Amino acid sequence: MSKRRRLSAAAFLWLPVGVVVSSHVAGGVTAQAADDARTIVEEAQRRTDAKSQRYEGLLQVFDARGRISDKRWTFERLGSHGQSRAVLRFVAPPEVKGVALLVVNHPDRASDQWMWTPAIERDRRIALQDRSTRFFGTDFSFEDLEERDVNQFDYVLAGEEPIDGFVCWKIQSTPRRTKSSQYTRSIVWIRKDTYALARIENYQKDKLVRRLDYSDIQNVQGIWTARRMEMADLTRGSRTRLTLDRLQYNLPLKEEDFTLQAIRRQ
Amino acid sequence: MLAPAAADAQTLSVRGFGEGEVFWFPQEVPADPTRLIGHFLGRGEVFYKPAPVIQFAGGLDLRANSHDQVEAGWRLDYGDRGAERPRLSVRRLSATYTKSRLTVDGGKQFIRWGKTDIVTPTDRFAPRDFLNVINGEFLAVTAVRAVIQLRDDAFDGVWAPRFTPSRTPLLDQRWSGIPPNAVQVPVDGGATMPTGSQFGIRWSHLGAAAEYSLSYFDGFNHLPLIRSSVDIEAPAVVVTRLYPAIRTYGGDLAAPTPWFTIKGEAAFFESSSNDVPPDERSDDYVLFVAQLERQSGEWTFVGGYAGEIVVRSRSSLPFAPDRGLSHAFLGRAAYTLDPNRSVALEGAVRENGRGVYTRGEYSQAHGQHWRTTVAAAVIGGETDDFLGQYRRNSYMSATLRYSY
Repeated sequence: MSKRRRLSAAAFLWLPVGVVVSSHVAGGVTAQAADDARTIVEEAQRRTDAKSQRYEGLLQVFDARGRISDKRWTFERLGSHGQSRAVLRFVAPPEVKGVALLVVNHPDRASDQWMWTPAIERDRRIALQDRSTRFFGTDFSFEDLEERDVNQFDYVLAGEEPIDGFVCWKIQSTPRRTKSSQYTRSIVWIRKDTYALARIENYQKDKLVRRLDYSDIQNVQGIWTARRMEMADLTRGSRTRLTLDRLQYNLPLKEEDFTLQAIRRQ
Repeated sequence: MLAPAAADAQTLSVRGFGEGEVFWFPQEVPADPTRLIGHFLGRGEVFYKPAPVIQFAGGLDLRANSHDQVEAGWRLDYGDRGAERPRLSVRRLSATYTKSRLTVDGGKQFIRWGKTDIVTPTDRFAPRDFLNVINGEFLAVTAVRAVIQLRDDAFDGVWAPRFTPSRTPLLDQRWSGIPPNAVQVPVDGGATMPTGSQFGIRWSHLGAAAEYSLSYFDGFNHLPLIRSSVDIEAPAVVVTRLYPAIRTYGGDLAAPTPWFTIKGEAAFFESSSNDVPPDERSDDYVLFVAQLERQSGEWTFVGGYAGEIVVRSRSSLPFAPDRGLSHAFLGRAAYTLDPNRSVALEGAVRENGRGVYTRGEYSQAHGQHWRTTVAAAVIGGETDDFLGQYRRNSYMSATLRYSY
């Protein structure tokens, strides 16, 4: 598995998005640094490898004026690292109960996504140009919900920095030409002690637009997992906190529960 | 509450809402002077999965209305065949069996085909409640449906032993579209329900660049033909509804591009009853829709064109909102203000300018359960146009919903 050159946040829903640096920044970086960065990302991926995953999530959206709205969902994933399928289904608040998202990740291209809306009994494919939009009023975009392939990005080791007192590798990534992304580049912090993600900052051109912080990192069934993630939309001034409950890995999930037919079942 | 982690095997999910809605129509209609209408709908749905391979779904609707749009008597309705909405009805009642790549649904269920949004030519198992013509809710049908999913291809077969019609406007109310100069409001002579079964098959393919489907339907149009006769003794004009036998051959496509999602849908409607008079047969025609869809930031845009090509016209008189929205440009724009508030504007304009409809909406959630929505619709045009005939039905509405 360590040979597989794919990147994912396996333990989490949001992959350590593109790590890398725009070409003008990367231009001055040595090949050794790039190799080190890729090796670190691959090791981080290897350590989060799991056949399946399930959790119940509490989403709390804090808008710029401090108002809070809560949403709850269940998440199930089969497979990992670019060849996975995931179903996310809202269970609260009541008016969105039953709304479901099917994400089919591919190792060589952007994921396919469909949303099931029970109020109209129809599914809708989420188009590529829709991926930058907010997912159900949260600060996560649809693109933030997909896994990323390590080969779709270039990586550069940009140094070391502490996050919450833990020393982290700071890695920059930029999407390759074949990769369609709203982000021009991203910076990822990976903890040196556990290879767990600590932070991701996403840029559009030179503007930092979203920051994802990982906290409450625990060892769950041998996988270091952040039980709390907080995405800040720095343009809007809002943020969304996701807390994972009842997290399990390597459950016996079935492939037929990750199809369009399956998300239509309530 | 859904409890997916509870021992993995059994899950129980309950959801529903209670909703009060008030419509205010600024203009009177000669046949219907009522301008203020109140409506209540209570809905409860239960989904129970006793084992991984089986799931049951059930739902009930409870309705009340200030303008006689709901039946007066209390009975539990299943068939959705009455002219008025039932006071208490089974919204859905079905069982789903899943084994490997096969899914079989049996019972009263919702079946939606097609990909476009406002007019859906291939959506043949989706009758609607058109008591309010521009705000029709979908009705479930009694059917057996089997779907086999083979990686990127799905084969969908539906057999419906019992026909479910669309509910048409009440003749003595404003959405009947009876001209203002009509001497007398016609009398509802009821409907002749088809007794045969219906079936349809659909193949769908999910590709990297596009997803598309081909479908075939053999059954009855859930939208009726209108037949009128004169009762000399009454005296009165009696209107009856009959549902013509049809076959349709359709296809749909959705192709995401970097700029838009392109969606298209078309179906050829062919009368399949050769042994009845021409006024009991539907036209042969092609109905098609092409639309573009884009989501950008907090905006969602959908715009398109619906067209119709009549291959063979007959002397029948259809009630056909889908054909009525053809030869028209259709659009919708929505903006999400924040997680709790949104606004939307939608409209349709006939290409000859003889009918126009536009509707704006503001919706706001209050906490976890409550939502209020206010809307206003403006309808204009000529009396001989499908949209224009409702030009005195512009309205404002307010809705309060409690979801659980």
